[in-house]
Amino acid sequence: MGTRVVVLQVLRQKLNYVPNSTSIPVQFKTCKASNLPSSLSCRLLCSVSNLTPSLLQHNKRNSAELSLRSLLDMGFTEYQAEQLYDSVSRMKGGNAAKHVLSTLSVLFVLGLNPTTVHKLLDKCPELYTVKDVQLQQRITQLRHLGLVEGSLQRTVSHYPKILTVPMKSVKSVVQFLREKCLFTTQQVAEILRDSPAVVLEDLDQLEYKFQYVYFRMGVKQAEMVKCRLFRFSLDNVRCRHTFLERRGLYQTPDKKGQTTIINPKLDGILNVDEGTFTADVAQASPEEYDVFQKLLAREWKEEEFEHGSIESYSEDDEKEEEEEEDNEEEEETRGKSGYNKKKKK
Amino acid sequence: MGLFLDTSRVILSRVKDLRALTSKRHRVKGKWAATHPKQPPTRMALQHFDATYSAQLGALWPSIRVALLSERKYGALLNHFSHNLDVEELQAQGCKDFISNGEGKLHTASKRKLHDNLLLRSAPSPLRLSPNIRCLVFPRGDITRFRPARPDKFGLLSYYLLDAASILPCLALDVQESHTVLDLCAAPGGKALVLLQTQSVRFLCANDLSVSRTSRLKRVLQSYVPKALLTDDKLRITSFDGTIWGEIERNAFDRVLVDVPCTTDRHSLMEDDNNIFSRSRVGERRSLPQLQAELLLAGILATCPGGDVLYSTCTLSANQNQAVVQQAVQLAEEQHGIQLQVISLCPLAQMFSNTFHFAPNLHLGEMVIPHLAANFGPIYLCKLRRLT
Repeated sequence: MGTRVVVLQVLRQKLNYVPNSTSIPVQFKTCKASNLPSSLSCRLLCSVSNLTPSLLQHNKRNSAELSLRSLLDMGFTEYQAEQLYDSVSRMKGGNAAKHVLSTLSVLFVLGLNPTTVHKLLDKCPELYTVKDVQLQQRITQLRHLGLVEGSLQRTVSHYPKILTVPMKSVKSVVQFLREKCLFTTQQVAEILRDSPAVVLEDLDQLEYKFQYVYFRMGVKQAEMVKCRLFRFSLDNVRCRHTFLERRGLYQTPDKKGQTTIINPKLDGILNVDEGTFTADVAQASPEEYDVFQKLLAREWKEEEFEHGSIESYSEDDEKEEEEEEDNEEEEETRGKSGYNKKKKK
Repeated sequence: MGLFLDTSRVILSRVKDLRALTSKRHRVKGKWAATHPKQPPTRMALQHFDATYSAQLGALWPSIRVALLSERKYGALLNHFSHNLDVEELQAQGCKDFISNGEGKLHTASKRKLHDNLLLRSAPSPLRLSPNIRCLVFPRGDITRFRPARPDKFGLLSYYLLDAASILPCLALDVQESHTVLDLCAAPGGKALVLLQTQSVRFLCANDLSVSRTSRLKRVLQSYVPKALLTDDKLRITSFDGTIWGEIERNAFDRVLVDVPCTTDRHSLMEDDNNIFSRSRVGERRSLPQLQAELLLAGILATCPGGDVLYSTCTLSANQNQAVVQQAVQLAEEQHGIQLQVISLCPLAQMFSNTFHFAPNLHLGEMVIPHLAANFGPIYLCKLRRLT
């Protein structure tokens, strides 16, 4: 019953901008979903997911033009409608205007209200260029990955960029997280929900970050997901951890997972602002952390340069002082290649 | 029962792969480690320091630890014998001479005292420093590196890069006009070069046990000091064992600098080469305090009565610092009847407190501790005056 109400609402909005010349038989109130005459209006009564392709056809057939009136009818306020109209008009290429309405309708079908949709498009104007078919496919993919109703809408409204990413990249990231990092499907869904920006990250960087936290910091997958590790940049994580490590406040667990001291929790390291981290967790002055960040940035730059030049040498270059081979035990707990610990602690 | 156990043991020892299937009660560990796992010397050093210094330094240790493990900060000792535009360039980048800064600080402080003091008698600075030494450093928190010095038209380099805190022992030594100076462990030559910069030394004797390091010392001096000042009547470089100096020359020098070999904390944590914490050098490391006390005693014997001895190391360990000084003073009194007075270096620490971090509450001598914003040191110094 609820779906029918929604369908009716959308239908009403859609029908409003159909040019007056076309007349649609007002039969839909009495039709049932199962045995319908193949008329346009009845097709519109079918399940919500079928609505979009039929709307598409509807739009194509009627070649609806974007206008302030149509936007207002969709439910936007005057101010929002004006803004949308302006930004679409400014977009290059005439295609934007044609597809915008269908794109907007997909977003509405998702369950977002007009204010949210407006904010979304403001945040991410690239959405205008996404075809509605693609948009729908991507939303379906996210649903299959475990982003259920509620969290899906929240994720999309907070990070609309996720819908501009092609399905292949999302698939490769998810595959990487599941197969190489050994996250469970539920954990992957949580990662997508909490840190959707992970789909845009470079896979090498992602791998390095995971390996760093898993081996060097000795943190397992469950904790990584709980404290939203993938929201933070690699440099941030490395800098804070190295500061603690060099101060002697964080130890890499040995092969049995033991340390001499109690390591601070990953949550307590990452999810605090710099001031609290420096004062409470590291027990240092802000000046020290500032200088340390600069020193570390320089160290990394030089390491990158060194690694770049080592790769260009042949195998008889033995001076790879940076890396030590990992224990065999750690290979058992990991899917594939192990992370190499650095010599300097 | 015994037969059953024997057979089961035989079966189990052959079927190692079924480890998971045998109950814990019957599992046998076949291979036992014969040696400790191999660890690089730097890691051994870090473990050793964590154990000793967390107790000795307490809450200061984490800050010192992170500074020791990060890149050190250098100072540029200016060479008075060379003329180059490098110096102006450095100053344009923001370097300042920390010694004149310190002296300036002292002047304003004493002027204020004068002002407050109702009596016209001014309080002279109780500590004299060696003159003419200038060393540029980048400001606090600035991590810019120095470029290597370039030779001028005479082939002399314009500045020498060293840990700025290493200059403090030479300053504290207070070399005055026409003094004879002995540097008992001179190589690789930084401190000897600083002493020559004072241009007050009548005769410098630079000694080091190792011949290879002595030749390096020669090279350093030749790159910085014109040949005219390196003649035999002004400079003597020797390769004797410093501990026997007491038998060679007694009561001969006005000033003696004893910069003993130590565990060189910073070097031991960062470099594996030539590291005193490597397994082959355990005996050498354990006998360091003994060697250091002998060297200091020899230095004391070589000083004229009324002369000064300065003991310095580059380690934080109280075992190699205060303990050694106390032992040497005691030995000098017991074995040779020599009375020594400890000269407080507190004014020096106050003068340079803007540039360096000094360890608080040291009952004997002063120590520069590393800190990320001022990553100099560690340097320990203690000044003794020979009374008899």
